[in-house]
Amino acid sequence: MKQDGNNSNPFSLKTRLQRLKRDSNRWSVLTLTIVIFLALPIIFIGVELFSGPGETWSHIVTYLLPEYIWNSLYLVLFCSILVLLLGVSSAWLVSRFDFLFRKQMEWLLILPLAIPSYIVGYAYAGIFDYGGSLDLLLRQLNLDFIRIDIMNRAGLAFVLSISLFPYVYVSARAFFLNQANNLLEASKVLGVGERKTFFRLMLPLARPAIVAGLVLVLMEVLNDYGAASYYGVNTFTTGIFRSWFSLEEPETAVYLSALLIVIVFALILFEKWQVRKLKFTSSKTNSKQMQRKTPKRSVQWLLFSIVFLPVLLGFLLPVGQLLYWAFLTASTVFDMQFLMISLQSFGIAISSAVLTVFFALLLIYFSKWSNIRSIKNIARIGVLGYAIPGAVIAIGIMIPTLALDKWLIGVLGNFGIDSGLIINGTLMVLLYAYAVRFLAVAYNPIESTALKVDNSIPDSSKVLGVGNLKTFFKIEFPLIKTGVFSAVILVFIDVMKELPLTLILKPYHIDTLAVKAFEYASDEMVMEAAIPSLFIIFTAMIPVIFLNKLLIKK
Amino acid sequence: MLTIDALSKSFDKGKNYALDNVTFNLKAGDVCAIVGESGSGKTTLVRLIAGLERPDNGSILLDDKVIASVNKFVQPEKRKIGLVFQEYALFPHLTIFDNILYGISKLKNKKVRAQDMLDLVGLSGMEKRYPHQLSGGQQQRVALARALAPEPSLLILDEPFSNLDAMLRTQLRNEVFEIIKKTEVTVLFVTHDTQDALSVADEILILQKGKVVQKDAAANLYVKPNNLYVASLFGSTIHINKNIQNAFQCPLKETCCHAIRNEKIKVNPSSNNFDCEYITTAEVIKKIELGDSVQLLLKLESGEQLTVMTQATNIEDVIHIGFNSKDILEFNEDAV
Repeated sequence: MKQDGNNSNPFSLKTRLQRLKRDSNRWSVLTLTIVIFLALPIIFIGVELFSGPGETWSHIVTYLLPEYIWNSLYLVLFCSILVLLLGVSSAWLVSRFDFLFRKQMEWLLILPLAIPSYIVGYAYAGIFDYGGSLDLLLRQLNLDFIRIDIMNRAGLAFVLSISLFPYVYVSARAFFLNQANNLLEASKVLGVGERKTFFRLMLPLARPAIVAGLVLVLMEVLNDYGAASYYGVNTFTTGIFRSWFSLEEPETAVYLSALLIVIVFALILFEKWQVRKLKFTSSKTNSKQMQRKTPKRSVQWLLFSIVFLPVLLGFLLPVGQLLYWAFLTASTVFDMQFLMISLQSFGIAISSAVLTVFFALLLIYFSKWSNIRSIKNIARIGVLGYAIPGAVIAIGIMIPTLALDKWLIGVLGNFGIDSGLIINGTLMVLLYAYAVRFLAVAYNPIESTALKVDNSIPDSSKVLGVGNLKTFFKIEFPLIKTGVFSAVILVFIDVMKELPLTLILKPYHIDTLAVKAFEYASDEMVMEAAIPSLFIIFTAMIPVIFLNKLLIKK
Repeated sequence: MLTIDALSKSFDKGKNYALDNVTFNLKAGDVCAIVGESGSGKTTLVRLIAGLERPDNGSILLDDKVIASVNKFVQPEKRKIGLVFQEYALFPHLTIFDNILYGISKLKNKKVRAQDMLDLVGLSGMEKRYPHQLSGGQQQRVALARALAPEPSLLILDEPFSNLDAMLRTQLRNEVFEIIKKTEVTVLFVTHDTQDALSVADEILILQKGKVVQKDAAANLYVKPNNLYVASLFGSTIHINKNIQNAFQCPLKETCCHAIRNEKIKVNPSSNNFDCEYITTAEVIKKIELGDSVQLLLKLESGEQLTVMTQATNIEDVIHIGFNSKDILEFNEDAV
């Protein structure tokens, strides 16, 4: 008994279509739907481009765009250099040498990540301000002729670098610790010295890992709004805000957003190219971690101070300044309203973390259950939101929801109902925006724990007569719980810290701690910004330490 | 009960085929082994039968119903096929008992059935343990019990013994098939070890580069292999090429390909009274003492090297070797 098409070419169009019909299931359709749903903001920006630029666009192109481009380029370059110096050197020193307080330094170096860069910016503004901490110190030393102004482009670049370098530190250290050991041993056996080993062997090998961390830093640099606006530096992101809020020209905001997307994708392509070009490191983790050298006491002190400097600048100094301010302003800032804002912040962060993790799980498992291979690749598009600056996502959501509301008002108006804005400015829209922005933050840890579960486990469940959903709840979920849990925590931190997207999309009557800190700072009340800032830092710090433990275990 | 018809599967859109036009069928109650080198498509074949992969072409019929073809696909959970994975794939967070219960939760007397299964594989008393608390062999038996619990019409074992060392392997193989015989289930059994296949299978299917090269009773495969690959799977074999034909002065049909098993090559250490049809002299390059026998690496005058075994002890530097025409294996040239 021959089936039709048996002797024909299995990859003829006819059999391909037959198989596509056989293999497409509701999971394929659902995966596509979710991906499109998450990509809507970007799609809308693309669509809006066709409606032409706003009235001021030509003015902006002539007078402001060169400045935006030049400033963004300056920040990207300056931050790259500084972040690489700080991140790679500290990662190498803590992986290769044993010195005083090395263990403590290893996790202290991650802590700057707990402070959003705009808050580091406020703290440094306070330190360097006229009559600020540094000024007072210099006056004590009769050195008050020294004045350093950091409220400029270079100051902003310093602030961003010092708060973002841990991205490079973390990925470089993970590489040095887990992948580099046998190469290091080979190099030692060949009699190559320490310096040459680092520059000729370790640095080139670690390049993909370092570039991956660097690209994260640069995305954050381009995403930053709070610090740039406080330091008065015009970047793409502040430009988007200006054209949206001051000029009230959505078309211009869209055009700037589209340009920014192009820059971000160029960065991603650069990373992919670097990683592909240099993929000679084994993907398997070496079981043996790197052996550390213990140098002389005096050298140990030197190493300690090199590694301590970024911790001091990126964490201790800013937190010290904020604590000092908090002490001064505690009586005025703490009130019922502040308590409410903290609770709202927590509530929003937790619900969006759960929602985002839910979307990540749907995307990971629906695409797995879909039997069409291209669907599995398409699922990854949903993750790209992390690369898109928050302000851009916000614009991409604001424009269609406003249009939809306008339409709804018109329709309901016909029935004599005065509805007002129904969709725009609701909590649901804000939560959706967080999900778009932070999907990757949830997706990656869940995916990597899911990959550790051998396929034969769910497969054997299916062979035993149990369907996809039930297999997920009875077998897969219990095995990936830790990944899901850390994903919730990671998204929670990111939402707590998030500023630009929240500023544009938050409901009128709701505030978050980040927004409150920003408002204080923009109202010339930067001291009052200290307490909400410290709240954010301390809620973010606990999980950062916890996650470092996970990283060390890996 | 199982019919595979022109089954093909490619993982790179037709550039290479993991399975290429595979056709065979299986009678109810048979134990059939699938043998082949790694990469020959064995695992792909059983995954297709179990429904864990989808065919690019051809069809699979179970009890005369199409379960997979280009336009039909029955989900693995609806196929009622038992599968024991190479790595056992026990659910690590469930007890042994719950692992066995997992596939029969809809059964009325599921607990009795699960207990029976545990008894069958000789693990009663271990119900409350978790998979990681068991030895490899015990895990293997739990996997078997779990697969047999829903009374599948077909049981597939994918390289079930490859994770075990040689001693344990033989013992466990006998145990497992002892258990299987009691259930009278039809068995498809993947292995790269011909010993496994020969000792338990009624029939053996040989796969080479995704194609079926032979399907035969175990005894026939040794005596009448279809090609050199099949012959070599069941013991090292030497291809009798032109140089070797000349050395032994044995003219053979040009249109056919010939081979001889190493163990059929006789060694005459003393150069007198050698009763072989085809004889030549060879230089001994290396002697490896293997306790009760000696392995010799020989070099013919033409430069060909070959390995033979002998029990003789007084080996000179140059010896005579030979073989008889009845031991020559003959296959069609194009089957190589």
